[in-house]
Amino acid sequence: MIEAKEVSLRYRDGTLALNNINLTIGEGEIVYITGPSGSGKTSLLKLILGMELPTSGTVKVMGKQISGEKTEELRSLRKKIGPVFQELKLVPGRSAIENVMMGIRFLDFSRQEIKKNAADALEKVGLSHKAHSMVENLSWGEAQRVSIARAIARNPGLILADEPTGNLDHDNAINILNILTSFRQKNTSVVVATHATHLIENQKNITIIRMNQGNISIEKRGDEA
Amino acid sequence: MKNFIANLDYFFKEAKRIIFLNKLSNIFTFLGAVLILLILATVVTGWSISSRLVRMLEEEAEISAFFHEDMDENEVFALAEDLDKLDGVWNVRVVDESEAYERMEEILANDAGILELFDDNPFKAYIEIRIDPGQIDSIVETVKDYKDIDYVRDNRGVLESINDIIKGIKTVGTLIILAVSITTIIIISHMIRQGIYNNREQIKTLGFLGASRMFIGFPFICVGLLITVIAGVLASLVMMLIIYNGYLAMGGSIPFIPLPPKGNLVTGVTLVIMGVSIILGMAGSLFGLSSIKEH
Repeated sequence: MIEAKEVSLRYRDGTLALNNINLTIGEGEIVYITGPSGSGKTSLLKLILGMELPTSGTVKVMGKQISGEKTEELRSLRKKIGPVFQELKLVPGRSAIENVMMGIRFLDFSRQEIKKNAADALEKVGLSHKAHSMVENLSWGEAQRVSIARAIARNPGLILADEPTGNLDHDNAINILNILTSFRQKNTSVVVATHATHLIENQKNITIIRMNQGNISIEKRGDEA
Repeated sequence: MKNFIANLDYFFKEAKRIIFLNKLSNIFTFLGAVLILLILATVVTGWSISSRLVRMLEEEAEISAFFHEDMDENEVFALAEDLDKLDGVWNVRVVDESEAYERMEEILANDAGILELFDDNPFKAYIEIRIDPGQIDSIVETVKDYKDIDYVRDNRGVLESINDIIKGIKTVGTLIILAVSITTIIIISHMIRQGIYNNREQIKTLGFLGASRMFIGFPFICVGLLITVIAGVLASLVMMLIIYNGYLAMGGSIPFIPLPPKGNLVTGVTLVIMGVSIILGMAGSLFGLSSIKEH
């Protein structure tokens, strides 16, 4: 699903975000990326989504190489990914359901499927009652759930979530993580960057990538947490 | 395509939202487009009227070829047929002595009595050749080279003036249409670029989600088209009023400028303006859209 070989990412200002990392994530795998702020969690997710290109090394996502990827191929790859951005990237002036629908309109869904998928996704994140509220009138936590609904409504092969529980209370956070991890049953890989290590303490069958100053260490956790 | 049709209502809603997001600026853009298209409509109307004038002037471009007096009627007609085949010659006609006399009587009108002073008809028969004024030099030279032609009266000064007028009208018309088209494209594309700038975050997000350039750009194309088409309709209506009132004021025609039929003129100008509005709206939008950067 995802294969990174000797990948480094250095920003134009000289900051080294990722330092020669090697990583393999399989289909249906649940991966948590943890680490302090500035450790490179978001950079790694951006790299997988093709928002950044590696300075050196190669990144393959769903069989397609990100470095040197042509725009059209990158676009078709992104269609298979459900991203949850840290800054949410919701479109103001639209309702919650319009935002979710906007994210799936250009996928291969009929008009009815677009509406149904969006409504189902909002129901899953517990926001059916706010479907027609403008996103600027939602709390940050609610907006975060809209962003998650937009990602899961796409029926993606890979979910990339950057701090999806950052502004949620404990119960909602657990609920969101459960929704995301439930995609394992569809063989969807889920990569979640999070500060909230306490939320994953009891999770089983997961991979934890600990990041620090662009370096990673990987822990595979089996059935026994 | 299925995807495109399923999203038609979304595209139009987005277009409406883009327009209202920057309402004041877009109102001025719209008014600018109306004024520009009105100028274009005026130019097209003037072009249409001047085209008739040009055609009339072109029809007046003629040279007279005088042949040997000893030629019989059949030889003259054979010569006329030969001349008719020359490149740039539109029409050839033999004018005999009596017709030449009558023409002079018409020209002299009240002073025609002076012709009675002659015992015999002083005018010679000749071949009247209507020509393309742009080819006067080559035609005159060719006609002069015919062994049966004595001399050619070419009214070169008049014909060259006619040619200059025709060239001038065509050049000025083309330049104005070009200037108006370029201005419209710049205004519309600037408006689209502004719309893109105002919606840059949304465009970026859609790009990260995998939306195609077409999906992202189509609402902007709709905006460009909507503004120019509505501006075109308004400009056409105003022009129609101007034409109707203009014809009314001129009592149908001016003696020296043959005006085209009012209905034909209005239909023609409306079709041109609407066609140009669509093309310019599309071109301006695409030009503006080319500024969307891939991420």
